[in-house]
This record gives sequence, structure tokens and C-alpha cells, in this order.
Amino acid sequence: MFLFEQLVRRELRQKYQGSVLGVAWYLVNPLVLMAAYWFLFGVVLETFTYEDYPLFLLCGLVVWIFFSQSLLAAASSLLDQGALIRKARFAREVIPASVVSVQALTFGVVLALLAVVTIAVRGTLDVALLLLPVVLACLAAFVLGLALAVAVLHAFFRDVAPILGAALLPWFFLSPIFFGVDQVTSNATYRFVLEWLNPVAPYIVAVRDILYGGDAPSVAVLVYVVAAAAVALVVGRWVFRRMESELAVVV
Amino acid sequence: MAGLRPGEIVVEGAWRSFSVRADPGRSLKELVFGRMRGGPPPVQALRDVSFHVEPGETVAIVGRNGAGKTSALRVLAGIVPLDRGRCEVGGRVVAQLELGAGFGRGFTGRENVYLNAALHGLSRADVDERLDDILAFAGLGEFADLPVATYSQGMFLRLGFAIAAHLDPDVLLVDEVLAVGDEAFQRRCEARIAEQIAGGATLVLVSHDAALVERTCSRVIVLDHGRLVFDGPVAEGLAYYRSEALVGA
Repeated sequence: MFLFEQLVRRELRQKYQGSVLGVAWYLVNPLVLMAAYWFLFGVVLETFTYEDYPLFLLCGLVVWIFFSQSLLAAASSLLDQGALIRKARFAREVIPASVVSVQALTFGVVLALLAVVTIAVRGTLDVALLLLPVVLACLAAFVLGLALAVAVLHAFFRDVAPILGAALLPWFFLSPIFFGVDQVTSNATYRFVLEWLNPVAPYIVAVRDILYGGDAPSVAVLVYVVAAAAVALVVGRWVFRRMESELAVVV
Repeated sequence: MAGLRPGEIVVEGAWRSFSVRADPGRSLKELVFGRMRGGPPPVQALRDVSFHVEPGETVAIVGRNGAGKTSALRVLAGIVPLDRGRCEVGGRVVAQLELGAGFGRGFTGRENVYLNAALHGLSRADVDERLDDILAFAGLGEFADLPVATYSQGMFLRLGFAIAAHLDPDVLLVDEVLAVGDEAFQRRCEARIAEQIAGGATLVLVSHDAALVERTCSRVIVLDHGRLVFDGPVAEGLAYYRSEALVGA
């Protein structure tokens, strides 16, 4: 635990050292993306007519950014820390876990700000807000599980990070970030693909329902969110445990 | 680890090979199109190596380059698993394989002490207790609160040794690292290791320095191409190694 804390500190320091805006960069990134999509889909094309569309966009964007940045950072984490792995014996899970934790910390700060603004602007303060910590805990577990698998797989197969990088962009556009699935299609098959085949979608929907909509997510979404987190964590840990013994040889 | 006393080492029928390739990671291409085509065959770093070390013994592992010495240490340190056989070590193992490995370059010396000690399984309270001793041993002066990126190579290594030397191991694994720093510092390193041995620690040393081996160790293991070819008292071991080395040369 002490080691984990030390590694998180080191990550945080390395990220923010020598940068003028520091943690504020993590606000700039979603805001810039939000502005672009709002301009395109809300103003120019007038595709979507959600109220407070910028807030609608941001709820999805911050979840996506946490997800994608965590996986990208985790993929290279074991190789980056090769010097430690080759020279000392310790629980190697702490390396990807610390990377994800750093992302989770910044995500937490950004989301807290977004929550305050969204609730104030939209008046969506509701008991459903009590579900948000549950959803976020599941999201963190889901991301951690995938991060463990991605990290150890990339250490052995160096193609994993490029594949991940190539997959994330189309994945982003197919995720319900700038649209709600209800609004874009009524075809049952398409709906199924967009809503349930993409494991990130229910997390985005749940966070947005709570913050932007002021409603509790549907039971189906909540069950999915919990189940996906459990599956990702169990499978991720299993893959990591199976492969970690040879890590010192390959990194 | 059940049944082993702190400081005891048991190695039985240990085998370990490494593939020698420029690219250490496998690519998915190999997985899909049949793996490990071409390239040199794997190197057998340990072949059926067995030995037993009692707590408090001082053992040197000698052998020519590529004989499997460093592999043996990495196996003992638990960093690399065996292909076959058994390797068990009782108590806390501290491996000095590369001093200053894992230092965060933007971190101060003091912060790196915490990070490095945490890596070896110490708690915050353990480090708090030892911090002053470590910094004093390293002799960093006011550099203790400057980032290690500003250190000279000597300071960097001194801090690395100082941390490793204050972890109170039951088994101390040392790989050639004593050849660092100036002579005065080398003497202090040796003195510190001697102190730990006097305190009951087991020492496993890999070195080419026959004089150092004679001073610090009572037993010698000679490895040759991954095989254990001699295991016995230091004088005979070094004599054996010298004669073998001459034959090989």
C-alpha cells in the first residue's frame, strides 16, 4: 500500500512538473472537444437539439477521456517501469493500478466541477445522485480490470498499444457521447449494438442520466454497470497473474 | 517459504533458459503465423543447479561471463522464475543488482529513499526510522533535498547503496556493485556488509574480484555454462576457478 502511494505520488509529480496550467489541462481537453462537437452538431448541423447541449456532451466526454487515457497510459506503464521490474520483487499490479489511480484522481476533480455546474444549471439535484458513487466505483473497477490486462499484454506483445490506439477513435464515435441512442435510431438491432455491445456505453448513459437528466439509470443499465465491472476486474486480474511471472524477462 | 529459517537458501535442480533475441517482446505476428521462427536458440543459463546455504553463510558465485551468475542472483531474488526445479529463500531478501534502479529523476534524494524502500516492502514507519542513517551514510549533504537529476554519478550510486544497505535483510544478494565510488566509499560499503553479516545475514556475492571474495566469503560456488562445477571452501574454489579459467583461456 505504501509502495502504491509512493508510485502515485511519482506519477502525479511527473505529470504536472514543469507545466504551467498543471491540473487545469484536464479541464481544457474536454472543454475543447466539447466546443468542437457543440459547434458542429449543435450549431452548424443542428443535428441534436438537446437543452444545454454542452453539458450533455461534457457528461459523456469526461467518462470517455478517463477510460481512454487510462488504458493508453496503462499499456506502456510496465515497459516504462522496466527498471523497477528487472531489479526488485514487488506486486507488479501496483504499476498499472497507480497509473489508473492518477487518471481517476484527475477525473474525480473534473467530474466534481462538472457535477456542480450541471446540477446548478439544470436543477437536477435528485436522490438519484446517491447512485453516482456506485456507478463511479464500478467504472473505476471496469477501467482497472481492462488496464491490468492491456498493460501485461502489451509487455509481451508490443502490438497491443498500437491496436488500442487505432481502436479508440472509432470506438469514441460509436459511443453515445454526442448523441443519445434513443434519438438516433429506433431500429432494435442498431440500438442493441450501440447500447449494449459497447461496454463503455452504459457507464456514459448512467453518469449522464444522473447528472444531466436528474434521473436514476434504468435497472438494466445498473446491472450491466456492476456486472461489466466485476467481469473486467476478474478477467483482468486473471490475465495479469497468469502472465506476470515472466515480466522481468520481457520488459 | 514454509519451513525455511530466515537467511536459509535452498536451490534444487534449478533450470532456466533465456531466449536471446534483439526484440524481447513477442509480436502478435508470431502468435498468428507460428511463433519463434528463426533467431538463435535459447541460452541455458542454469542447468540442474542445486545448493543449500545455511543462515549466516557467506557465499561467492564466480564464473566467467555468461556462466549464469547473474541469472542465479535474479532467481534467488525472486525476479525471474525457474523453468524447472525449486528455489526457496527464507526471510527478507535484498538484491543489490543495480544501484539506484527506479529512482525518479525529478525526485529529491529524500523522496527517492521512500520510493525505493517502499519497493523493497518497507513501511513508512520503517523508512522514517532509517532515513537519517541512510542520508548520513550516503553523505549527500545539502543535495539530499535536490532532485537526483542534479547528482553526480558517484552520489547517485552512494545513495543507491545506502538505501540497500539499511534494509536489514536476512539474505543480501550483491552483484558486482561494490566496484562503485571512490576507495573510501568502497571500504565503507564492505564494512557495512561485514556488519550485516556479523548481525546474522546471509551473503551471496557475485564478483570477479578474487581479493574481495577472499575477504568477504567463506564459500565459493563456481558456475560454468550454467552448471555448478564446484562448491566448497573459498581457497580451493578460487584455485579451481583460476585453473579452469586458464584452461578456458
